[in-house]
Amino acid sequence: MRKTLLALSCLTLAACNPAPDQASISRQLATQQVLPAYQAWLQANQQLGQSAATFCQGSADLTQARQQLLTVQQHWAALQPLAVGPLSEGNLAWQVQFWPDKKNLVQRQVEALLTSKPQLVQADLDSASVVVQGLSAYEYVLFDQAIDLSQAEQKARYCPLLTGIATHQQQLAGRVLEQWQAKDGMLAQLSQFPNARFADGQEAVAELLRTQVNALELLKKKLGTPLGRQSKGQPQPYQAEAWRSQASLALIGASLGSAQTLWQGSEEGSLRQLLPSAQQSLAEQIDQAWLDTQAQFKALDQPLDVLLKDAAGRERLNAFYDSLSRLHQLHASQLAKALNIQLGFNAHDGD
Amino acid sequence: MQRRTFLGLGAGLFGGALLAGWQLGRRDGQPLLLSARNDSQGRHYAVGYGLDGSQRFATEVAQRCHDVVPHPYLSLALFVARRPGTQSYLIDTRDGRLVQTLDSPANRHFYGHAVFHHSGDWLYSTENDTRDPGRGVLGVYRVSQGRLERSHELSTHGIGPHQLLWMPDGETLVVANGGIRTEAESREAMNLDAMDSSLVLLDRQGRLLSRDRLAQPLNSIRHLAVASDGTVVSSQQYEGEPGERSDLLAIKRPGQALQPFPMAPPQWQAMSQYTASVAVHSELRLLAASAPRGNRLLIWDLDSAELRLDLPLPDCAGVAAVPQGFVATSGQARCRLIDCHKKFIDSTPLQLPAALWDNHLRVA
Repeated sequence: MRKTLLALSCLTLAACNPAPDQASISRQLATQQVLPAYQAWLQANQQLGQSAATFCQGSADLTQARQQLLTVQQHWAALQPLAVGPLSEGNLAWQVQFWPDKKNLVQRQVEALLTSKPQLVQADLDSASVVVQGLSAYEYVLFDQAIDLSQAEQKARYCPLLTGIATHQQQLAGRVLEQWQAKDGMLAQLSQFPNARFADGQEAVAELLRTQVNALELLKKKLGTPLGRQSKGQPQPYQAEAWRSQASLALIGASLGSAQTLWQGSEEGSLRQLLPSAQQSLAEQIDQAWLDTQAQFKALDQPLDVLLKDAAGRERLNAFYDSLSRLHQLHASQLAKALNIQLGFNAHDGD
Repeated sequence: MQRRTFLGLGAGLFGGALLAGWQLGRRDGQPLLLSARNDSQGRHYAVGYGLDGSQRFATEVAQRCHDVVPHPYLSLALFVARRPGTQSYLIDTRDGRLVQTLDSPANRHFYGHAVFHHSGDWLYSTENDTRDPGRGVLGVYRVSQGRLERSHELSTHGIGPHQLLWMPDGETLVVANGGIRTEAESREAMNLDAMDSSLVLLDRQGRLLSRDRLAQPLNSIRHLAVASDGTVVSSQQYEGEPGERSDLLAIKRPGQALQPFPMAPPQWQAMSQYTASVAVHSELRLLAASAPRGNRLLIWDLDSAELRLDLPLPDCAGVAAVPQGFVATSGQARCRLIDCHKKFIDSTPLQLPAALWDNHLRVA
């Protein structure tokens, strides 16, 4: 009898437990999902600095240098659905990666810079165009077929740029993390309300969802552009995000994974928990959409440029794109509506 | 007669009326905020709210509006169709009653902005001649028995006009010719390779008094604010590449040419090449600009160009001067009151409905 009573009271308590409020969800997501991603990004950039130094000194080979670049690229890709606040402001993202690069500006500007500054120093790079400051230029140096880093002369030409980019990225990541952790910084603003940025937890959650939805939209573009979705079906392999390193799909996977962590989060906090019980069918629909998109992604077992070459590969990519598109739509329209969040208005369609 | 005498005298005082514009039309001791707004189903409204969040009216209208023009002394405001809209709405600001639906004539559409002459007898609105897409036209309407009737039209001496305002004399118009050609029923730019934006001063007969241009051809002058001393501020939308430097604000001080308003790189970079509203607080000598794509509200000292506030505000839209400082609306977030009397300007959320406010806010 006592046990029954206890069970009953637990049930009652569970039923009475209020749904987690937006302020606490924002705080949990910021602390547990977002901040660690920024810390990991900084750490990967610190390792990129070491990698550039050891490669240029000759104590590490090109494969190791390439591997470390891929690690940083993946951390950067994972950060994009979490780029709330400083990283999405003031053109910072362009300094990390220059994409889309429709006119091959990366190659043109890297070569022009190194020709005009053969003794490149950090200040030259820091004051140069964003096109040459980031990972896209680093990737060009390590992967472009016209560059042979086994030749001492070529290595001497490009190494100051590699070390310069690594330093620039490390400093940039350090500054962004400082802005997160400062008193009244981004972490505090996503945790305590009201503050100078957010009037309440609802606005903070809205910003997190907006950032995630923008990232899903960007993923569609990253896949859709090389797939020819914007060019009458004609594949454009050189418009892929990381065509030189063939890492484009891996980067899409990294972004997808971190976008999913905002939805699923942890036991303490996720966007999913904000949906009231009356919206459980929507929650399950979104869960299912994530499963489908991830399954479609995992089936892509070859690099993007290889898949783009034949009809069967393009069909799988298109299926993945359609799944991604459904996932985006569920977040952008139904989830936003259920959470009473307005995603775009003047910013997309103003005058 | 008495009214006209008063208004004749008022011409010289018009700058003062501009300066204290928020005192006009107050009924219950607080400014009335007027704006175009949507609901989450995409329906369009002309709305009036008190600063305390109390709704005066929300009148559903067929076409999305942009700017709002309060009549100088009648309880009327024209909610002007956003380009390429063809219907503007004359609303009684006491209760939101639709007094008149103003249709643009054949081969014309509205560009979202208009002004009433201080006499209260005339309205001027920027319009597109769609037979020669982009040719800027000022539609001139006579106010007769509380209704608007089209009288004639003037040239804006430029392409794709957008906002227009009065200079402090109340007789000289300043017009932002955005320089972009668009066709009827379209928002698609046709001439990004041949834009020609200009800031034009003209008199009420349409005579060109001056024309300024900015150095970058891809910089579209779109919005304006005029201080009581005749200083004109323009805000731009840049059609070039995302990372390029652009002069998103410019200033024409009395007797001088239009020139870029000095701005540090973090601010122009944060604005994402796009400004929406610009407002001047003449008494505090402050300049505020909203950047919905950069999600920012920025305030500078009008004279020293010192940055006073750089506030993240998602989809920051309309900005208007009020005695305390400024009110800012948003397409996505809650509206804010910006208290500018303190050394360090701060903002507080207002009890107004959140989000879906269009890019302009007027205070009556």
